[in-house]
Amino acid sequence: MIISAAKLIKDRDILMVGTQWPIIVSLFAKRFYCPNITICYEGGVVLQKIPDRIPLFTGDPVINSSSIMLGSCLDTLGSILHGGRADMALLSAASVDRFGNINTTCVGRYNSPAARFGGSGGACDFGSLAKRTVIILEHDKKRFPERVDFITTPGYLSGSDSRGEVGLKNHTGPYAVVTTLGIFKFDNNGEMILSQFQPGSSVDEIRDSVQWELKVAEDVRQADPATEDELRVLRDEIDPKGMYLREARLLQGIR
Amino acid sequence: MSERTKVVSMKEAIEDYVRDGDTVYMGGFIQQQPFAAAHEIIRQGIKNLTISMSAGLILADQLVGAGTVKRLITAFTWNPLPAKAHCFERALIKGTPHEIELEEYSILALALGYFAGALDLPYVATKTILGSGFDWQSSKSGVNNRLVFHRSPINGERVCLIPPMKHDVGIVQVQRSDPYGNAQSWGMEGDTKYGLQSCGKIIICAEEIVPTEIIMRDPNRTIIPGCRVAAVVEEPWGAHPAPVAGYYDIDWQYYALYERRTRSEQGFQDFLQKWVYGVKDRREYLSLLGLERINELKAERFECHPVSYGKFAQHLEVR
Repeated sequence: MIISAAKLIKDRDILMVGTQWPIIVSLFAKRFYCPNITICYEGGVVLQKIPDRIPLFTGDPVINSSSIMLGSCLDTLGSILHGGRADMALLSAASVDRFGNINTTCVGRYNSPAARFGGSGGACDFGSLAKRTVIILEHDKKRFPERVDFITTPGYLSGSDSRGEVGLKNHTGPYAVVTTLGIFKFDNNGEMILSQFQPGSSVDEIRDSVQWELKVAEDVRQADPATEDELRVLRDEIDPKGMYLREARLLQGIR
Repeated sequence: MSERTKVVSMKEAIEDYVRDGDTVYMGGFIQQQPFAAAHEIIRQGIKNLTISMSAGLILADQLVGAGTVKRLITAFTWNPLPAKAHCFERALIKGTPHEIELEEYSILALALGYFAGALDLPYVATKTILGSGFDWQSSKSGVNNRLVFHRSPINGERVCLIPPMKHDVGIVQVQRSDPYGNAQSWGMEGDTKYGLQSCGKIIICAEEIVPTEIIMRDPNRTIIPGCRVAAVVEEPWGAHPAPVAGYYDIDWQYYALYERRTRSEQGFQDFLQKWVYGVKDRREYLSLLGLERINELKAERFECHPVSYGKFAQHLEVR
């Protein structure tokens, strides 16, 4: 999942990077594929080098001594993202729907929720304003409803030109969803379409893992398996303590 | 003219400047959050506050759980592990300890709102939010915030208008301030500068109080001039468990412990009793935390190269 997502980034891209998976994806991309990308976080951070320890979230203080600029939200979310200069935004998600809308707010109705998540953070801004948004999450059928309960981050809303109709800028919107099972792109109607399946998965398994009738690209193929070099860099250099790879950052053992 | 020192204790600062029903901006964004001040607010039993912080994280969670909050204005309230903010969820689902009003935005929308509030602009127009659940006009999601949706008089496009967000009180943890409130902060700025500048009464909590001369040697670092500040509190480690650039790390273990302990209401009450009510100030809190942990969290020094602002004493010679 991490490697597949990293491969979507182009060198010299200016990235807005959200918390969780995008952090490790963008650092891996910088180290392995695209050394000249610019990594920006919501709080005004423009990262310059791979930090000495992997940031556990976008406010990790290790960032303070790894950055070329420490500005404010108005510098990154404002000038770079709202200013139309973010080539790609990378986001995690609690759930994603058929048209790439993301929910990180609630299960059920907003005013009488069955469960509450954290909310948007900068995610709504990322999805509204970036030229391309890449959504990264572990695959679980529960996380792929046909329509999310709440649109925290706009994807293609209800398809076709719904984005334009509500006033969102042209040439913005989701580009891909990358999961542990597959890589999905979006068709001209803004609907998610399966583009590649991860080694060990299959088109049938993935069809069964979303809550709507999934479109499958005619040229759907298996994603390239991770190479030994890619895995070595990821495991030994980028995340040696398994903070993301083994979710060690959750400190499961703490009582 | 001699300036009046504004240095007071945390207890005095909160007593004098935070009232029931106030709207309070908590600064620092994800980093320098004023936990010590928030704990003093809880200890003093101040109620019905509107708390505004875009990254509520666990500070907002603690204030909600302690019954301090009437309304929460936020973009993200969540434990960064990642895990739930349990008090926040309980308040919204079960209404315990009591129901709260929720006013939700994205980070950029709030940052622009603080900017508008600082300058007292009529509003700021933006192209974020549109079509999302926060766009209550198009989505009918039931969200209740102060955004207005309109057509731009310049090009007719649909825009989101953000009203000025102003606050009675602003509180933040900074690295240093002089005794008159000329406060300097460095690290990730987030929305702190304009957030603070949008406030009526500003309480600066500083790791260190330094002479004015030091502030004057690097004036680009100043985030608020003393004329805007009501009180200065010397409060080392006042942001723990949040980090302060150059001073101390985030206490990630504490966030994990908080998440585990506060899964139940009783668990949260026990936590509050231990870390807030059971200590009379931050100094006692730090004794509870222990010197060993404090030393583990202390930042290794990593200094910048000094810069010269230039000094000019001579005028032109006029012949």
